[in-house]
Amino acid sequence: MHEAKNSLGVIFFPAFDWSISPTHPEREERLLYTQDQLKEEGLFDIEGVDEHKPGVATKEDIERVHFCYPEVEAVATRSHLVAAGGTMTAADLVMSGRHKKAFALVRPPGHHAMKVVHGSRGFCNINIEAVMIEHLRENYGKKRIAVVDTDCHHGDGTQDIYWHDPDVLFISLHQDGRTLYPGTGFPQECGGPHALGRTINIPLPPGTGDEGYMMAMERVVMPILKDFKPEVVINSAGQDNHFTDPITNMNLTAQGYAHLTELLQADIAVLEGGYSIQGALPYVNLGICLSMAGLDYSGVREPGFDAVKHAQRPQIAEYLAKLCDALPELYFNPPSLEQSISGGKIEGEWFVRHKDIYYDTDGISEAQTEELLLCDSCRGLLKVVSRTTKNPACLGVEIPLHACPRCREKGLALYEEAQAKEGYRYCQLINRADRQYLRHGF
Amino acid sequence: MYLGIDVGGTHTDAVALDESGIAAQAKVRTNHQDLLASVNQALEGILAAVPAQSISQLNLSTTLSTNAIVQGTLEDVGMLVVPGPGISADDFMLCRDYHVLKGSIDHRGSEIERLDTAQAQGAIDACRKKGVRVFGCVGKFSTRNPLHENTLRQMLGPDGAGADSVTLGHELGGRLNFPRRLATAYFNCAVWRVFGAFADAVEKSLERLGLGHVRVNTLKADGGTFPLAQARKMPVQSIFSGPAASVMGIIALCDINHDSIILDIGGTTTDIAVFVDGQPLVEHDGIDIGSHPTLVRALKVHSIGIGGDSAISVLGEAVRVGPNRLGPSQADCVELGCACAADARPTLIDALNCVGAASHGNVEASRQAIGQFARCHSISPEVLAASAVEAASEAIFKATRELLDEINDKPVYTIHELLEGRRVVPKRVYLMGGPAQAMREAVRQRFELFTVVPEHFDVANAIGAALTRNTASLELFADTEKGVMFIPALRHRENVPRNYSLKEAERDALNHLLAHLSEMGVFADRDNAQVNNASSFNMVSDGVTTGRNIRVKCQIKPGVAFALTGPSQTTAGR
Repeated sequence: MHEAKNSLGVIFFPAFDWSISPTHPEREERLLYTQDQLKEEGLFDIEGVDEHKPGVATKEDIERVHFCYPEVEAVATRSHLVAAGGTMTAADLVMSGRHKKAFALVRPPGHHAMKVVHGSRGFCNINIEAVMIEHLRENYGKKRIAVVDTDCHHGDGTQDIYWHDPDVLFISLHQDGRTLYPGTGFPQECGGPHALGRTINIPLPPGTGDEGYMMAMERVVMPILKDFKPEVVINSAGQDNHFTDPITNMNLTAQGYAHLTELLQADIAVLEGGYSIQGALPYVNLGICLSMAGLDYSGVREPGFDAVKHAQRPQIAEYLAKLCDALPELYFNPPSLEQSISGGKIEGEWFVRHKDIYYDTDGISEAQTEELLLCDSCRGLLKVVSRTTKNPACLGVEIPLHACPRCREKGLALYEEAQAKEGYRYCQLINRADRQYLRHGF
Repeated sequence: MYLGIDVGGTHTDAVALDESGIAAQAKVRTNHQDLLASVNQALEGILAAVPAQSISQLNLSTTLSTNAIVQGTLEDVGMLVVPGPGISADDFMLCRDYHVLKGSIDHRGSEIERLDTAQAQGAIDACRKKGVRVFGCVGKFSTRNPLHENTLRQMLGPDGAGADSVTLGHELGGRLNFPRRLATAYFNCAVWRVFGAFADAVEKSLERLGLGHVRVNTLKADGGTFPLAQARKMPVQSIFSGPAASVMGIIALCDINHDSIILDIGGTTTDIAVFVDGQPLVEHDGIDIGSHPTLVRALKVHSIGIGGDSAISVLGEAVRVGPNRLGPSQADCVELGCACAADARPTLIDALNCVGAASHGNVEASRQAIGQFARCHSISPEVLAASAVEAASEAIFKATRELLDEINDKPVYTIHELLEGRRVVPKRVYLMGGPAQAMREAVRQRFELFTVVPEHFDVANAIGAALTRNTASLELFADTEKGVMFIPALRHRENVPRNYSLKEAERDALNHLLAHLSEMGVFADRDNAQVNNASSFNMVSDGVTTGRNIRVKCQIKPGVAFALTGPSQTTAGR
């Protein structure tokens, strides 16, 4: 009989009673066939592979990460709390030593959810990876974390949350933003002033197949990871890069995904997108599970696979070869603030950037001004002012983990002052130094 | 009058009873070389007290199939396996004549690759050449579409001519799990002949003893019975029915309404079962046979190596009981008035004798053995005996808690179940088996729960066997886009209209279940039929709903024909 080389915990939670709308891609049926496939293959009978129930994230777990307006309950349904809780369970299983690796096969996804949340963007409300990362930091003292986002869409939410964090390396492999939602994720986007080179974007041309993905993994992702030496590697395992996906244009196969997973050796994988629920998900998820557990995945093959039809065009390899020559430089010799797309400029002690954000799922427009206090002793105080078509002026103040006394004082003063002046409809304070999460509404 | 026989590992217990109570009981040693002899002996014991004409039904729980598997006296089976892509089927090679064939069906039951019939014919010929007469045909996702298994069935020819017996994977039930389906089909084939021969012999014996008119059922591990004729086809279902007999015995003897724990303390092991709202819990997937997980449904029973005959050991400061069994207790093996051997190893029973909880057999021998053993480890005999009893109840308590944690951690798949799902919190403990009465106080103190030892606690297994009702279960699967409804266990497939609904599916599932039972000559009360699980998913393609994917599971819930709950239960309060 089989025995897993790496013991693997799978948090399987298909949320069979939740959907965005009855015919939306993010609906009840999404993981049904995956469940059928995993059950029929007898995955959970394999020695060392276990299925676990997700935990439920608390309000505080969310508030540690996001500014939610007007409040957590308004933007996160119970399903979001369970998905986020699922990723935390995955982290707990690995940190406690119960399993070597874990896969949170949960829905809905989260990698488009940014620091500030007013509603749903790209089917995401709560950034489930970020909730897990801050859970790892808060409860297990982990510091250096790498997130490799292989979803076909740019993980703009995760990028936004860790834009200023030099201890989180965010690498996203996605279909070129000129051809797909959300239209971002270019190489010049490489992090804020104190975290340059800690955001790496690898835009892949439409039609990229297994070879192209492997090239990017071997020549860009792996050398950077080796140098960064993260304590935990997380894979945002979206599966919409599969050749059958209805809303994207890539050519990755289940075999390719399993191979990628084997190379990456992530400690924790988290399901993100992937809407070819019959033709791709059952096989890709089986491939990921087997690969993570160190089992033979060579027999996994999706019915629609055609080696000739799904081969990558030669021009793509040529283009990618050039890209792969240039991209590692972004990490090893990051460009100056002026050369990168930082989206902002330095004004005195502060780095200021303006963002216009559209919440496509909920139809909300947001105008945001984010200010980071450029501090030499800590990550720096963060202040975000946001106005939307839904909520009037909102203020978010974040005193970062391990904040210096000055940033802490200043943050507390800012929050107090904002309440006194009544310039904002809602104020939220994330005080990681004192584990204090406050909100105030007028 | 109902007759129940439980052929157990040590004893074969038999009772004859009706609603007024137990009319006769018999206990004989089990002869593992000749189970039929044990059954006959037990039957004769009963017939000495009860006239044959008064008996209307015999329920038999036997270790026959289990023994055949444990002793490896299995017939060669030809396995024809159609795995398709995924985890390699070569890793599940269960026997020599194991042939992996080309062909594949996907999760929705669509044929992706046709069955390679030339290859299949070659495999069948190779098996026949080696004299193989029983075959198992198993395909991945055959419970969605049995096309390949049915084709293989036809290629094998009719029963008796081409093959003596053929087991098709989908007939084992509609649950998904290809490796389990493979193992279940294999074991069913492998014990088919030996079970058939036993069934013939039992019927002959009954005829000889004037019991030819009796309806014969066989116990299953899921707390139900099925007619002998049915058991001949699916003998694998008769495996590990012993613990179920005991659990059903408790149902017959006690009126259980709450979340409860059932402890069957035997000679070598203690079986722990859990009741939720008065109903026994069923194993999530199925039991393991050897190292092979199967689809055989079973009551959730956890066994630990602690029983009356478990040896006491001292390790440093700690006193332990079990899991070793070094023969019977001193109380049982030392003649009255004799001294026990100098190196005699005391057991839990001896400790219970010493602390005054029991006065079983030769109490003096128990005292002596405990005294000697205590001196060897420089502790006082009183402390040793008390610690041993405490260690036994502690080990039982710990194992019970682990079982409860496992039950409460069972994965769920909806937000509603996750957030509103109830936890199992036992309110009572029911004890049975030989040392039940003696262990009652120790168990009560450790569990801090109301503890009940019913009357007849020592033959509860045979009572359970006698009174257990027929059960059956099936799964229905419908795909309204394809316009089909399929009940694998009954091999029933029909076309359904596009507007076929979950409600109709539930109704059809229950009707087919009841019809199936009545075909087997079993009366089943509609009230005992229940839908365990029903779900319907909209299937959407390009933003348009194309159909519904419907799944229904239903069963006749396990239960007893009638209860023997009298006022004479002995109980211990909090």
